[in-house]
Amino acid sequence: MTNHLLGLLVVIPMATSVVSVALVGRRRPQRVLGVLSLGSMLLLSLRWLLEIRDGDVLVSQMGAWPAPFGITLVFDSLSGLLICAGLVVALGCYVHGFSTLSPETERRYFHPLAQLLMVGVNQCFLTGDLFNLFVGFEIMLMASYGLLSIGGSRRQMGQAYKYLVLNLVASTVFVISAGLVYGMLGTLNLADLARIVSGRVASGEGLPTGFVAVSVLLLFVFGAKGAMFPLWFWLPDTYHTPPVAVAALFSGLLTKVGVYAVARTFPLVFAVGEARDVVTPLLVVSAGVTMFLGVLGAVSQHSVRRILAIHVISQVGYMVFGLSMMTTAGLAGALYYMVQHMVVKSSLFLCCGVMERHTGSDDLDKVGGLLKRDTFLGVSFFVAAMSLVGLPPLSGFFGKLVLIREGWGIHWWLSVIALLTGALTLLSMLKVWTTGFWLPPGSETSTPTGEPGGLRGAYVGIGFLVITALFIGLAAEPIYDIAFHAGEQLTDPTVYIEAVDPHGLVASLGGSG
Amino acid sequence: MTTVLAICVTVMVTVSVYLMLSRELKSIAMGVFLLGHGANLAILAMSGSPVLPWGGLRQPPILGGEHLVDALPQALILTAIVINFAVMGFFLTLLIVTARKTGTLNVDELAGEEPPRSSPELASEPAPVAGLETRSVAD
Repeated sequence: MTNHLLGLLVVIPMATSVVSVALVGRRRPQRVLGVLSLGSMLLLSLRWLLEIRDGDVLVSQMGAWPAPFGITLVFDSLSGLLICAGLVVALGCYVHGFSTLSPETERRYFHPLAQLLMVGVNQCFLTGDLFNLFVGFEIMLMASYGLLSIGGSRRQMGQAYKYLVLNLVASTVFVISAGLVYGMLGTLNLADLARIVSGRVASGEGLPTGFVAVSVLLLFVFGAKGAMFPLWFWLPDTYHTPPVAVAALFSGLLTKVGVYAVARTFPLVFAVGEARDVVTPLLVVSAGVTMFLGVLGAVSQHSVRRILAIHVISQVGYMVFGLSMMTTAGLAGALYYMVQHMVVKSSLFLCCGVMERHTGSDDLDKVGGLLKRDTFLGVSFFVAAMSLVGLPPLSGFFGKLVLIREGWGIHWWLSVIALLTGALTLLSMLKVWTTGFWLPPGSETSTPTGEPGGLRGAYVGIGFLVITALFIGLAAEPIYDIAFHAGEQLTDPTVYIEAVDPHGLVASLGGSG
Repeated sequence: MTTVLAICVTVMVTVSVYLMLSRELKSIAMGVFLLGHGANLAILAMSGSPVLPWGGLRQPPILGGEHLVDALPQALILTAIVINFAVMGFFLTLLIVTARKTGTLNVDELAGEEPPRSSPELASEPAPVAGLETRSVAD
C-alpha cells in the first residue's frame, strides 16, 4: 500500500530541530515544541501500526520515482514496531530531561540534537536502501557525538573519542561495502538486491565473487554499532559519562539500530545461499559470548549506571541469538525482545537518574533505603528490573520464552546460556534492589546534591515508560502477532519485495551494473 | 585506470591505519579523514574504467552520446564527501575544545581516571599543545 505521508517521520523532527536552534536559550518554547514533535510522530506511527497489523506493508516512493531509482521509505511490521518503541523511549527520556538535565546543557543544544537523533533513527528504520541506511546512521551518529560531548567534562571528552573513532571507522567500512555491493549487483535497493540474490541462488548461478566478504564486512559494521561480542568495548564508558537522560536515550536507541540493520539486511540479502553458512556461525558465537560475558561484567560492577550499561550488551546477545536462528519464530522473538528491551532499559536508566538526584551518587556503597524515601521510584525500578530479568507477567518473560523455546531445537546450548544469563541478570538486579532500595543506608551515605523539588518531569517520564513496559507484557499477544508478521516477512520476503519494488527493473536486466 | 585507483586506495588505507595507531589524537583524526577519502576512491572504482576497451572515453550523462559513465557512484561519493566534511568539522572542533580544556591531545593522558594534577605544567593552566596553540586557532 502506498502512503505518501511516511516522510513526515523524518521531516517533523528535522523541522523541529531547525526551529529549536533558532529558539536556543529559551527553554519553555523548546520543550513544548519537542514534546509536540515527538508526540505527533508517536500518534502517527501508532495509527500506521494499527493499519498494518495484518501484515501489510506501507511504502512511499519519494518524488514518485519507482523503486530502484528513487528513495524508498518502508513502514512494515519490523520497522513499524521499532519506530513506535523508539518514539516512546524518546518521549520518556525527553520529559525526564526537563528535571534532570543541568540548565546549561538544556539551554545549549540538547533539544535540537535530540530531535536530530530522531531524524537519524527514524530514517534508519524506514529506509529501503543500503545507502540511505548509511546516511541515517551518520545523522544519528552526528547527533550522538554532539549529545555525548555536551557539557564536556574531561572524562566525557576522553570517552567521546573512543566512540567517535570507532564509529567513524565502521561508517567508512559501511561506505566501502555499499560501493562494493553496487559494483557487484548494480543496485542498492534492498528489495531489488533480494530479488537479484535469491534469483541467482535459485538459478544455480551462485553469488558473485566476494559477496561473502561484503557480508562479513557489513556484519562488522552493524556489530560495532550494535555492541556485539568483539566490538562492544566502547559501550560501558560511553553510557557512563553523559547526563542520564542522554544515556537513557542512547541505551534505548543506538545499539538497537545496529541490531535492526542486521535483522533487516541479513535475512533478506546478505545471509542468503553460501553467505548464510559463513554468517550464521559468526552470529551464533557472537550471541553466546555477548550474552554471557555481558552479564558477568555486570555482576562484577558496583555502580548502578555501569551495571545497567553492561546489561545492554548482554541483552543485545539475546537479540542476536534470535537473529542467528533465521527462523520465523526466532526473528519474531528477537523483534519482540528488542521492543520490550528498549522501553525497559531506558526506564531503568531514568530511575538511576532520580536515584543520583536523591543521593548524589550511583555507587551501591553509598545509597540505601530509597524505598522508604521514594516509594514510586522503588516500585518503578522493581517492575522494570523484573521485566528485564523476565519474570512471568512482565514483558521480558515472553521475549525470552519465545527465544529459548525456538532455540532449543536449533542450538540447545545457546538456550542453556540464555537461561544462565537470565539467572545472573536476576542476581545483579536483586543486588541493586536490595542494597539500593530495601536495606537501610550504610554509614558512608553521601548527601543529596540537587534541590529536593522539581522532579515532576522525571516521574512523568519514568511512569510513562514503566506503564508502557507493563502494557507490552500484559498485551503480549497483539504485539507478538505483529512481530510474527515481521518474522514471516523476513524469512519469506516476497511480500516485502512486491510491495517495495513491483517492477524489478534492475533484476530484469540481469543485475549487472 | 582501475589498477591505478586500486594502488591509490591501498596506499591511502595503509597510511591511515598507520596514523590511527598513533597515540596522538591529531594523527588519529588525520587517519580517519584519509580513510574516508580512500573509501570514496574505492567507490569511484566501482563505476568501472572510464576508458572503453576499444579506445575512447565514456561520456558524462549530461553530454549524451552512446557510452555513458555510471553516475550513481559519483552521487554516492558526493553524499559521502558532505558527510565526511561535517564529521571532520566536528572532530576538529572537539580537538580544539579538548586541547583548551585539558591541555593535552594524548590518548593515554586523556583516558586517565583523574586529571594528573601533580604535573606542574598542568596545575595552573592548560599548556599549549604543539602545533595547536590554544589561542591562535584562527590561523
